[in-house]
Amino acid sequence: MTFSSLEWIAFHAALVLGAFSTMGYLSSLLVKRVKLAKISTWILAAAFVFLTVKFLFVFIRSSWFFNLDSQDFLAFCAWAGCAVYLSLQFKTKTRVLGAFISPLILLFLIAAAGEEAGKSLWPQNLQSSLTAVHLFLTIFGEVLFVMASLAGLMFVMQNRLLKSRKFSGTSRLLPSLNDLDRINHMGLLWGFPIVSAGIIAGVIFAELSWKTGWMTDPKIVWTFAAWITYGFLLHQRLAIGWKGYRMAVMSGVALILLALSYCGVKLCFSTLHNFI
Amino acid sequence: MKMIVLVGVNHKTAPVAVREKIFSGCGQKSDLLSALKAIEGVEEVLYLSTCNRVEIVASVSDDVRALRALKAFLAQSGDLTATEAQSCLYEYRGGEAVRHLFRVAASLDSMVMGEAQILGQVKDAYREALEKYATGVVLNRLMHCSFRAAKRVRSETGIATNPVSVSHAAVELAKKIFGSLDGKKILLIGAGEMAELTGMQLIEKGAQSMIIVNRSLAQAELLAEKFHGEAAALDALEKKLIEADIVISSTGAPDFIVTADMLKKIHHQRKNRLLFLIDIAVPRDIAPAASELENVYLYNIDNLQDIVDENINARRREAVKAEKIVDEEVEKFIGWQKELDSVPTIVSLRNKAGDIVREELEKASGWMRNLKKEDQERIEGLIHAIVNKVLHAPVTVLKEESSDISSRDIVAAVRRLFRLD
Repeated sequence: MTFSSLEWIAFHAALVLGAFSTMGYLSSLLVKRVKLAKISTWILAAAFVFLTVKFLFVFIRSSWFFNLDSQDFLAFCAWAGCAVYLSLQFKTKTRVLGAFISPLILLFLIAAAGEEAGKSLWPQNLQSSLTAVHLFLTIFGEVLFVMASLAGLMFVMQNRLLKSRKFSGTSRLLPSLNDLDRINHMGLLWGFPIVSAGIIAGVIFAELSWKTGWMTDPKIVWTFAAWITYGFLLHQRLAIGWKGYRMAVMSGVALILLALSYCGVKLCFSTLHNFI
Repeated sequence: MKMIVLVGVNHKTAPVAVREKIFSGCGQKSDLLSALKAIEGVEEVLYLSTCNRVEIVASVSDDVRALRALKAFLAQSGDLTATEAQSCLYEYRGGEAVRHLFRVAASLDSMVMGEAQILGQVKDAYREALEKYATGVVLNRLMHCSFRAAKRVRSETGIATNPVSVSHAAVELAKKIFGSLDGKKILLIGAGEMAELTGMQLIEKGAQSMIIVNRSLAQAELLAEKFHGEAAALDALEKKLIEADIVISSTGAPDFIVTADMLKKIHHQRKNRLLFLIDIAVPRDIAPAASELENVYLYNIDNLQDIVDENINARRREAVKAEKIVDEEVEKFIGWQKELDSVPTIVSLRNKAGDIVREELEKASGWMRNLKKEDQERIEGLIHAIVNKVLHAPVTVLKEESSDISSRDIVAAVRRLFRLD
């Protein structure tokens, strides 16, 4: 059996497990059974293991270099999502977050399945170790940012329910305010240095290859704005002591900027990151 | 045929004075279970007593006489008048007795529906009966089925999920705000009974310490000693609010003690930490404007009572599902009990067949002696196999039809056909 067929099997196993996990999480919301969410977490962990195996084959295939095709890129986003969510599960027991995250992971996996395999993601002139490090770190860090913002949005929902004293089914289902605030804190604390390191790798590459002109690229400008916003939030949290509601709302705003740096820029401008 | 009967009193049929009399009357009897078992017709017995009920469950051979005797026993123990006994004591027999016991174990018949203690009390009653050898095949099975029904009700319905007391509702809210209560500081303003109870439950759930602020410092110190907490005078309230995570207020003060301005002033010193304010005082102690502040969650007694009311309604809705589970379990038990009726006939039938085989083998022992030992064993094996096959159909029919109304006719027919009597 060749590496590519083993890679195909690992990816499709992860896809099927991801679908089961999403169904499990959503059903656990419907029937309000924690046990079902627990099982879904284990299924997602299995999907994560298969994706890891897939990337091991990718590394071997590309002689231990982080050379991804379009399918690998989307699958990598799903892998990073799984990794961040599962590690958060060790810190806080907020399985309901899985019902929000697992559909996103599944969407990435489905999109990855639809992409053509084998065609390199980067144009020839962008293939270097620095771009590989840049991509790996920024994706991973931005997943942490998304997680921080999603926890923030759930905080806003739970806050509204508790303030209006509607202590009903939804409120019972959502995690506690403190747990959500903690996820937000961890997402920022880990996400910011990782994204920063990724940006530094990208900047060094740009400075070496292009010298000038790259700083006004719309994708870079928007991502920089999102990075600054998350950095500002981390500063406010650590230095000023912002907590709870204000952090949650501002994280939502930062998520909008981050989404625009991907979708808005891709739709409206031609950028140096067109391949993503 | 053995029948299950149940007699007793509970909070719905008898006032506390009557329940008390029966409870202490029965409690005074040195060997209550032996006394109950000595009643004519009673074969197995179990005595259950909680603060809300006293009940006797028994497996009896003559239900009419046994019920009369058991009711007389309870009336006599409680020194009840004939009218009292008539109005307070209830009786169930057969399937209704089984259903009542299952409902009791599943906490569907409790004063606070869904409370968890009753199952433990039923288990204790069963343990005592077991130790005194008061139960047998029927009651052992009945009790295990009641535990299963209760367990299913708890796990398959939401009857016990939502709290139905103000203090428990406050604890649940605190958990929704803070997640874990470990290390949280409680500030008690005033020394009301309800505030004390809520504080105690928060401490039980992991809250770290309690600060008691009261107009009378002496009373605050008294309470602080009880909770191993810290006492402070009302003047120190603002300072203590900085440390607190959960505030429970229940003073008799006519005006607001905690105002929104006060909380705004200490906002930075509290480092924006979440603050849960529980105001169970009437008139209120905490200004309603406090709830508009960021990271502050204020609930007054009416808000908590609304949650409790909603939870009670939710439990009632869940009770419909629970009753269906009880019905299923009652049906299973009744099926088993009917099957039990056909067991003596099946045993007699098998014994008779065994006797015939043994007799015929003895008769044939003369000529079989000439055969090899292996051949003798083969012939014996063959005979047993034929007998088992012949008996298989009638035994299966007896087991299957035992849950049917016509089972008695079939049992009678088998006994006559095979001359078992």
